[in-house]
Amino acid sequence: MRPSTLYAILMLTLAIVAGAVTVHGRQRALLEMDSSAVRDSLTRALGLTDLCLATEARYTRHPALTDDLAPFMDYPAALEHFPTGLFWAPPR
Amino acid sequence: MLVELENIIKIYNQGQVNEVMALDRVNLTVAKGAMVCLKGPSGSGKSTLLSIIGCIYPPTSGRAVIAGTQLARLPDRFLTIHRRQTIGFIFQHFNILPKLSVLENIMLPLMPLGISPGKRRAMAEPLLERFGIDHRRNFPAGEISGGELQRVAIARALINAPPIIIADEPTAHLDSELSKEFLRSMRQLKGEGKTIIIASHDPLVTDDGGVDMIYAVRDGRVSQDVS
Amino acid sequence: MREFSEKHLNILDYALSSLWRRKGKNLSVFLVFTFVIFLLASFQFLTRSLLDAAQATLRQTPEITIQYMVAGRQESIPVSYAAKIKDVFGVRKVTARVWGYKFNEVTGSNITVMALAHFPRLDQEVLAEGRFGAKGEKGWAVIGQGVLDDLGLGSRRSFSFFRPDLTLKPFTVSGVFGPESNILTYDLVITGIDDGRDLFGMEATLATDLLVEVVNPLEIATVARKISKALPGTRVVTRPQILKTYEAVFSWRSGFAAICLLSALAAFIILAWDKASGMSPEERREISILKILGWQTPDVLMIRFWESFALALVAFGCGTILAYVHIGYFQALLFRSVMMGWSVLRPGLSFVPVVSFGDLFLLFSLAVLPYLAATVIPAWRCASVATDSALRG
Repeated sequence: MRPSTLYAILMLTLAIVAGAVTVHGRQRALLEMDSSAVRDSLTRALGLTDLCLATEARYTRHPALTDDLAPFMDYPAALEHFPTGLFWAPPR
Repeated sequence: MLVELENIIKIYNQGQVNEVMALDRVNLTVAKGAMVCLKGPSGSGKSTLLSIIGCIYPPTSGRAVIAGTQLARLPDRFLTIHRRQTIGFIFQHFNILPKLSVLENIMLPLMPLGISPGKRRAMAEPLLERFGIDHRRNFPAGEISGGELQRVAIARALINAPPIIIADEPTAHLDSELSKEFLRSMRQLKGEGKTIIIASHDPLVTDDGGVDMIYAVRDGRVSQDVS
Repeated sequence: MREFSEKHLNILDYALSSLWRRKGKNLSVFLVFTFVIFLLASFQFLTRSLLDAAQATLRQTPEITIQYMVAGRQESIPVSYAAKIKDVFGVRKVTARVWGYKFNEVTGSNITVMALAHFPRLDQEVLAEGRFGAKGEKGWAVIGQGVLDDLGLGSRRSFSFFRPDLTLKPFTVSGVFGPESNILTYDLVITGIDDGRDLFGMEATLATDLLVEVVNPLEIATVARKISKALPGTRVVTRPQILKTYEAVFSWRSGFAAICLLSALAAFIILAWDKASGMSPEERREISILKILGWQTPDVLMIRFWESFALALVAFGCGTILAYVHIGYFQALLFRSVMMGWSVLRPGLSFVPVVSFGDLFLLFSLAVLPYLAATVIPAWRCASVATDSALRG
């Protein structure tokens, strides 16, 4: 078999795998949509403003509500020291 | 005449400090079906002469007609096409790509021509059989013997059925047995109507009965060798 | 046409064979390239998914939230402010909320405690078990899955927190949030507002913030402006601002993104330098032989192009698929420690990665195009290989 044919088979295989993974993902997404109604109710009822992703510091647990100075509030000229501060960009 | 060179001048780096005149008013003709030997020391202009006859580049001035086509007017692209159709090269060290198989090496000149793999194999197979290397077709060329390499080189030169074969010092690294075998192949090709041009100062070549004419190349000039 | 396509297929065949002949070197290039794309794609898929989750989940977030600020920090807001806010035209309802954090010294976790005066009838929808407390009921708490595990309750349904004066405040677990709301409630304890004030030692005249519902959602900005004017010492946060926060938080300007990009860039520089550092004598010889056998310079360039492009395309495919699997099936395993840092309570990140054509195009442009440029442009040097150099031996 010529190399270009083998390559085409390889790319086709990758495309099939990508397609299968995407289709499976979409099916999962459809299942998750059922949960979105639950989350909407909770958000509305409890007035929630942030996702529970990082719980180490209040400015990463509630970035939407925290004031800009919270990462540096411990003492004058304090440096931000929580690892998640690296991952989250400062809110605008 | 298949090769006609008239007042050929070739200058490298023209107009610059390191300007060199490699060929100085060379006149040379080769008849169709002849076997010709170019004899000369290193630096004599032999390689340049082979490059012009081999349609690698045109001369600086003069008239060079190879297989009916004048080189001076040809743009590089058409020169390449003309070379593909007209010339088969056999190099000094054979210049086979060692990691490609024997068959792949032989088919190499056909790849840029848009010929399908099946047709290429059909063109290469008779040559494999003719030169007795069919059993080595899938071997990496770097793993075959010197004699087999020589035959691969000849087969590759013939794959496009060119009318002219150019061999540059083909026996320089061969023992006498392989050298004789090479010359036998060249005589055979001559008998089939090919025009053979061999650049060599090996007495085995110059004294071979199949050679019709010997040209001496010295300091960029060519003369008939009557010795 | 047929000859043209056959020629290019032949060149592709030669390029692929050439890649295979140097499989050791090309395999390492492939692995590095795949890893770089995997890293970039994982970051892109994760942040896109988080942003989508935030936008989907927080579309019902309060229209306006009012905080009281002193010296740039948030302090408790007087409940009496609600009356002033109610007077602003366009405001439908104002709700006081008490919330804060409790640190569990045993496990080192931070728990969010939220207390409200009223709870709509939601029990069956949102709770895996139990119910919210009834009106007037004291000492009840609905907790998230993470809190249930963190407090080590098992089958027990009571726990205590310390008040500021170090006395214990007992709670009875009246309900547990279901796992489908983990992204919101994993670390949450919900209780009645009086219990919340009791726990935090807050006076009845104060609240943590005030939630404002407006009559017309299109007038949120206008109402927010009016509230700011009426209450100058407050910070007014609107729903669009909350959603915008998440757009910024999960952006390429974060530190982690910069590290990913710099690593990728460094890897590329190494790759490109290797490729651009010139042809080996073997490569020069090969090109010279091809040229003398009738291959033209564009044909030789095409070999180099196909070598790079074929490798890059497979690496791109493998990298993006691996990234998708990494985010969608392994919960962003490699990023979790950075994303969650010192967090003890870590909700699962079961996202379905959101992949758009724009994202793939961006990744392709960032990863593949520079690699092609770095490998094909120096290949122009092959044009400098003299055709007759093979003759000279």
